[in-house]
Amino acid sequence: MRPKSFVTRLSRAALLLGVAALVLTAFGTTVAVAKAKKVDKKAKPVALQTGNPSAPVTLEEAGSSLLYPYLQVLTPQLSTAYPNITLAPAAGGSGLGISDTIAKLVQLGGSDAYLAPELAVANPGVENIPIAVSAQAIDYYVPGAPSFLNLSGNVLAQIYEGKITNWNDPQLAALNPTVTLPNLAIVPVRRVDSSGDTFLFTSFLSATNSAWANGPSEGTTVTWPAVSSELTASGNPGMIQVCHATPGCVAYIGVSVEDTAIEDGLQEALVKNKAGKFLKPIHSTIEAAVAASTKTTPATLAQSLIYASGKNSYPIINFEYLMVQKQQSSAAVAEAIRTFLAWASSPTGGATSDNLSAVDFVALPTSVIPKVDAAIAKITG
Amino acid sequence: MRAARGARDLVFWVICGIALLLVVLPSLAIIFSLLQQAWPALTLHLLTATTAQHGLQNAILGTLVLAFGVLVLAGPIGILGGIYLAEFARPRQGSWIRLGYETLAGVPSIVVGFVAYIVLDIQFHWGFSLLAGILALTAIILPYVVKTTELALRQVPTTLRDAAAALGLSRLTALRTAVLPPAVPGIASGLVVAMAIAIGETAPLLYTVGFSDSNPSLQLFQHPMGYLTYVVFLNTTLPTALDHEVAAAAGLVLIGFLLVLIGIGRLVGRLAARNSASMPG
Amino acid sequence: MIRTRGGAGGDAGPATHRPKLADQDLTGRDRLARGLFLVAALVPAGMLLFLAAEMIDQSIPAFIYSGLNFFTGQAFSFGNLYATTFSHHNGVTAPHGAVYGALPLIFGTLASSLLALAMALPVSVGAVLALTERIPYRLQSGLSVFLEILAGIPSVTYGFWGVLFLGPFLAHHVYPALSSVLGFIPPFKGPVGSGPGLLTTAVILAVMIVPIIAATTRELVRTVPVLAKEGALALGMTRYETVRVVTLPYVRRGIVAAAILGWARALGETMAVLLISGNLLGRLPANIYGPFSTIAATIVDLLDSALTDSTKMGIHALAALGCVLLVITVVTNMAARLIIRRATGNVVLPVGRGI
Repeated sequence: MRPKSFVTRLSRAALLLGVAALVLTAFGTTVAVAKAKKVDKKAKPVALQTGNPSAPVTLEEAGSSLLYPYLQVLTPQLSTAYPNITLAPAAGGSGLGISDTIAKLVQLGGSDAYLAPELAVANPGVENIPIAVSAQAIDYYVPGAPSFLNLSGNVLAQIYEGKITNWNDPQLAALNPTVTLPNLAIVPVRRVDSSGDTFLFTSFLSATNSAWANGPSEGTTVTWPAVSSELTASGNPGMIQVCHATPGCVAYIGVSVEDTAIEDGLQEALVKNKAGKFLKPIHSTIEAAVAASTKTTPATLAQSLIYASGKNSYPIINFEYLMVQKQQSSAAVAEAIRTFLAWASSPTGGATSDNLSAVDFVALPTSVIPKVDAAIAKITG
Repeated sequence: MRAARGARDLVFWVICGIALLLVVLPSLAIIFSLLQQAWPALTLHLLTATTAQHGLQNAILGTLVLAFGVLVLAGPIGILGGIYLAEFARPRQGSWIRLGYETLAGVPSIVVGFVAYIVLDIQFHWGFSLLAGILALTAIILPYVVKTTELALRQVPTTLRDAAAALGLSRLTALRTAVLPPAVPGIASGLVVAMAIAIGETAPLLYTVGFSDSNPSLQLFQHPMGYLTYVVFLNTTLPTALDHEVAAAAGLVLIGFLLVLIGIGRLVGRLAARNSASMPG
Repeated sequence: MIRTRGGAGGDAGPATHRPKLADQDLTGRDRLARGLFLVAALVPAGMLLFLAAEMIDQSIPAFIYSGLNFFTGQAFSFGNLYATTFSHHNGVTAPHGAVYGALPLIFGTLASSLLALAMALPVSVGAVLALTERIPYRLQSGLSVFLEILAGIPSVTYGFWGVLFLGPFLAHHVYPALSSVLGFIPPFKGPVGSGPGLLTTAVILAVMIVPIIAATTRELVRTVPVLAKEGALALGMTRYETVRVVTLPYVRRGIVAAAILGWARALGETMAVLLISGNLLGRLPANIYGPFSTIAATIVDLLDSALTDSTKMGIHALAALGCVLLVITVVTNMAARLIIRRATGNVVLPVGRGI
């Protein structure tokens, strides 16, 4: 038998390889097409139709670790109100919530940050739906110093820029004239995951310090200035853990875990607002800030509530959003989502004062509710 | 002079002894610290509750599902591939194929996870997909299965193949009746190694399978699933002592699975030794 | 682990041509089966080509945008994702202020793995020599169980141990002493941190790669001809001299290859590094105790926000990082296996992790 030439053998091998690759791709695309077919329907505007679905539906949620404790409170109550809807929340950071929603990996993306303008343009099918108002605290751990030190956004920006490095710095002393601050190096702690809390904090720094606004600016991830002592943490609980282990630290932490932070020994700061008063994030100060800001909420519900004017307004507050794709994979899932969102944002449903105060949140203002309902109505399947 | 050489000998072996201690101590230290951390949490609650209640039920089941899925997918492909290399491939063809899977063995697991996430979960719209996770794990362990199958078959004496050919058996029948059976222990041992690697992986699963607090639904698409390595990862970053206890418990369960697999591997090895002793040389 | 043993008619000779049964003896069913087997054998290569093609395809925009700055620049940032303006370089659009420089990550990947290798190699070789030359045979298999367990412990468990135990222990008890003794060398000076950092990561990586180096070395040491060793002893050499004169030269090249294999394993490590490295982005570590990051850990870290980049450059940048890592690890793996094959011919490699 004539020995086969090298070319023949090579082409045979290439042919077989190609067949294998083709089979793999065909399998994948068939499945992809099968999935895509379900989504290919024209969206019809409908009235707010909600109700208990006829078959069990699980709504997967991922994202903000600031929102997560609130969702944990809501989950069992949702099952009681609508037995066929189960909420499966997870933390992971607001960036993950937004990413997963865009990629259609989850039905609901929890985020403290609204969609970036360009991201909203690139993904017109995703909308921001707020269900509550929350806030962010600034905590520190300085043994020997009292709780409720005064801090301002300008000073915090300089700390995170590396310009203020010690607790006995004159600028801090100026804010706290009655306190003797110790000679202790400041250790700023920042979030390493893509975080809505980072967005809120950097928005606040941008509003109060022009160097920060022109430099790192705001975002769920930013280019943090080089500070040699800076530490990183993952998630709000991680911030607590790192700060608790490091004397001299300062960290930005969401109110929903503030109780845990205080229990762990962290101290809460009073933050300077636009009117010059030093406040902590409690119900009255958050309410005041909300009232001052929400007269101009756009239909997209993408609005920053940072540095609101008003004597009693706490400066770092935000809408807690759930990102949703307007087009869902089935009518049943769409109905379940509408039902959950309507229930969660309603004072007679999930947004009871007990639930909200369990995590130090505040209810959505009544002026915003119609816009929220309009957004919920756009979810179809 | 003699004393100096003797002294050097002693010093050298003391250093080597210290080196041996440095190898043994970390594994003891790790197991000890895992036991110490997990001790308060080592109750039946771990098996009956899911991660939502600081248990491990869904994670244990998820890891078992992944191990089984990887066995079912990578096992046959790897074994068949190894058979080709050992029985049918010409030397140059075999070198190319070997180069292929050895290069695949060198690909970092995060790269596999990244591609699976971008292509399967997102572009193919599989969502959080058990199948994507299993495919990613398959890409990582397939080289091991192919290699150990080929080696196990190479150890089978050629006399068996010659005898089968002399009897006029087709290659397929010869494989089935004469060549494969003695190689089974070696192949099984390779599968054990592959599964041990698969249950310890995290990076390729993080973004492809997601995580869920509920028990596995066995749905291949649009469903996240929990597994033990993620519990260790997540809970390490959480602040409370209870979280660390659960992480340590998950780590212990993983080591438990590993010991079971090592035990199976050794048992199978002993079976292989017994079998080869009774084979015609 | 599969070992070849001589005798029993097995094919333990040099891995060259084995007599194959002639092809014309194949029945139709045989040919069909062979085709099926061939497809299966090609799946790994197919997967490899697919992975490489996808990584290259996804990374091209990032390489074009950054040019050489990808390898020389220190800053790595997705940019201002909330701005409404963009940056343009070489025809590629990225978010305002986006810059993709991988130098600190490449440095971190290489430095942590090389430091780990520097610690793991002498320890592995010393331990194996102690195990094979001095420990009674009966105890050997018991002690080698430790190697197997170490090899099988998942990366995350090492990370857990590092974060909660080893890191704090080293930072409180070892690094201060190290800093005072070696402080005159710049990298060893000054603030020792609280645990997470380059040196701690290197120590954990060293513990992780000891099994693969030790297992390979153990196989190599077993191939040393007993006669040569006995001859040396008969001549009156001490056991140390026997090792130095007979064993080590014989296995030297193989140990080099085992070291490279271990190094390749450390290069690809992700989860332990992610937990214990300190996750520094955008600059080189300040000293040997300070936070840093590697390519693999950064990819995991940033993949959650890659999709929040409307220009999709986030994904491209991470793919570019992955490409660089892929090239580094594949090249080192190939080099190691080439050296082993040439050095030892028929000794079986423990594939990958050493169990």
